[in-house]
Amino acid sequence: MIEVSGLSKSFGANRVLDGVSFVVPKGTVVGFLGANGAGKTTTMDILCGCIGADQGEVKIAGYDITDQDLEAKRRLGYLPDVPPLYGELTVLESIQFSAEINGLPSSKIKPRLAQVLERLSLGEARSKLVGNLSKGFRQRVALAQALVHDPEVLILDEPTEGLDPHQILQMRELIKSLRGDHTVLLSSHILSEIQNVADSIIIINRGKVVTHGTYEDLTSKFEGKKAYKVRVGNSYENALAALRNLPDISELKLSDDRSISFNLASTNEVGLDKVAKAVVDGGFGLRELSQTSKSLEDVFYQLTK
Amino acid sequence: MNSIMTIAKRDFKSGFATPKSGAVLFFFLLFMGLFFSSFVKTFIEFQTRAGMMGGGGAPTMEQLIKAMFYNLHFILILIVPAVTMGTFAEEQKSQTLRLLQTAPIKAYEIVLGKFAAAAGLMGFVLLLSIGYPLFLKAHGTPDMGVVMSSYLGLFLLICAQISLGIWISSLTKNQFLAFIFTMFGLFMMLVLDFISKAVTTAGGQIESVLQYFGTTKHLDVFFKGLITVGDSMFFVLFTALFLFLTTVTLDSRRWK
Repeated sequence: MIEVSGLSKSFGANRVLDGVSFVVPKGTVVGFLGANGAGKTTTMDILCGCIGADQGEVKIAGYDITDQDLEAKRRLGYLPDVPPLYGELTVLESIQFSAEINGLPSSKIKPRLAQVLERLSLGEARSKLVGNLSKGFRQRVALAQALVHDPEVLILDEPTEGLDPHQILQMRELIKSLRGDHTVLLSSHILSEIQNVADSIIIINRGKVVTHGTYEDLTSKFEGKKAYKVRVGNSYENALAALRNLPDISELKLSDDRSISFNLASTNEVGLDKVAKAVVDGGFGLRELSQTSKSLEDVFYQLTK
Repeated sequence: MNSIMTIAKRDFKSGFATPKSGAVLFFFLLFMGLFFSSFVKTFIEFQTRAGMMGGGGAPTMEQLIKAMFYNLHFILILIVPAVTMGTFAEEQKSQTLRLLQTAPIKAYEIVLGKFAAAAGLMGFVLLLSIGYPLFLKAHGTPDMGVVMSSYLGLFLLICAQISLGIWISSLTKNQFLAFIFTMFGLFMMLVLDFISKAVTTAGGQIESVLQYFGTTKHLDVFFKGLITVGDSMFFVLFTALFLFLTTVTLDSRRWK
């Protein structure tokens, strides 16, 4: 479980985080979504105890990251945006080093290494130098380093960044497989990266949490009503009146470009047909009927622009 | 304790996996060999000349040994910054420091691990240089007591130099800056004794304070064959101070 409350951080005059609060329940995968520069990496660095916050509190598995840092860090694995790898070590040495500094007892190291190599399909690359590996392999080695001590909490900063589509798919499957055993906070600036993997999504913008909910929550919140516009050839006023009588239609108004904008409940699938029929039957001359927003990408874009 | 050893081992091994430690060893032995051979040549020349003039004023073996160790002090000013410049600067640049910072270990353990690795490498370097006094022993009768105490003094000096270098390295991401500033710092430690006379009124309080903080005076005692608590403590406390400052530097990023 990760508990974050009232986190604020400034670098000089630049306020990077402003009262960030959220909770990642135990055993869930939560996506942390924001544009580049929204404050994702700073939040994660604070969560992991790499930098201190100006204000606020972070608890990892119930332990305060500042006051009980060793207890918290024992239960924490971090994959930063830049994988922390020593190029001159082999894959096996890298993971073993991480196991040792994370305090895994030496009797457990060998079997655990074998497990992790297997899980991340790194067995064949085990004696290769990390510096000679491709980006995808390096990312997997870094994840292995974060996983090797079997931490309760995993914080992954843009784990799919720079991977090819095939590798992205693998990484996604891997993260899915972590659900249940681990509490995962996963950041990305790409929505589709997260929506397939995460149980819920936090959207952060300019250092503030904009919204937090499941994918369905967010979709229904913003897609519950879809926005459309219809452009007619003549008698706008009459067309407006005709549309007003239709069911599930709301926020009907004449917009500046002399088209009529309206919202339609997304549950009403035949609503659009009725709109078209009303315009055509009324002889107003249907010129255009289009959706003006809002896919979740649009919502994200609007919330974070 | 285990984490300190793990970090030290990794650092030490990485040093030899890259050309860095090899280059340090190579240049150290090259400089040392060049200077040593020229010293020995001069020594023999002067001794022959003195012998022809009746034996008066011939250079002694003590002088040769002292010249060799003084010279070593100069070489260290070039070598130690190369060893310490990357300790933290490189880790901060490549962001591997996060791996250490998110592990359940204290900042002082990271610092001690890095210090142990650098001291280990320089200790190894020092061990290799023992060939030169052994050469003298094979061809003359040097006072091996002086040689031993000089080595102890040099090792203590190296520890102090390394701690300063590590601290400077923790302040920047730029290895080159760390190298230059460390070299400047080490040079100041060497010359503080000499310049103290120039910058203060002779015999004043400030002069003696400056002299105390220079390394030369303390090292001279070891080069004379003496091992004193006061001079040993100077190096030990110097080392401890800068290792402490490094720990504070690392920890300060976590402060609110």
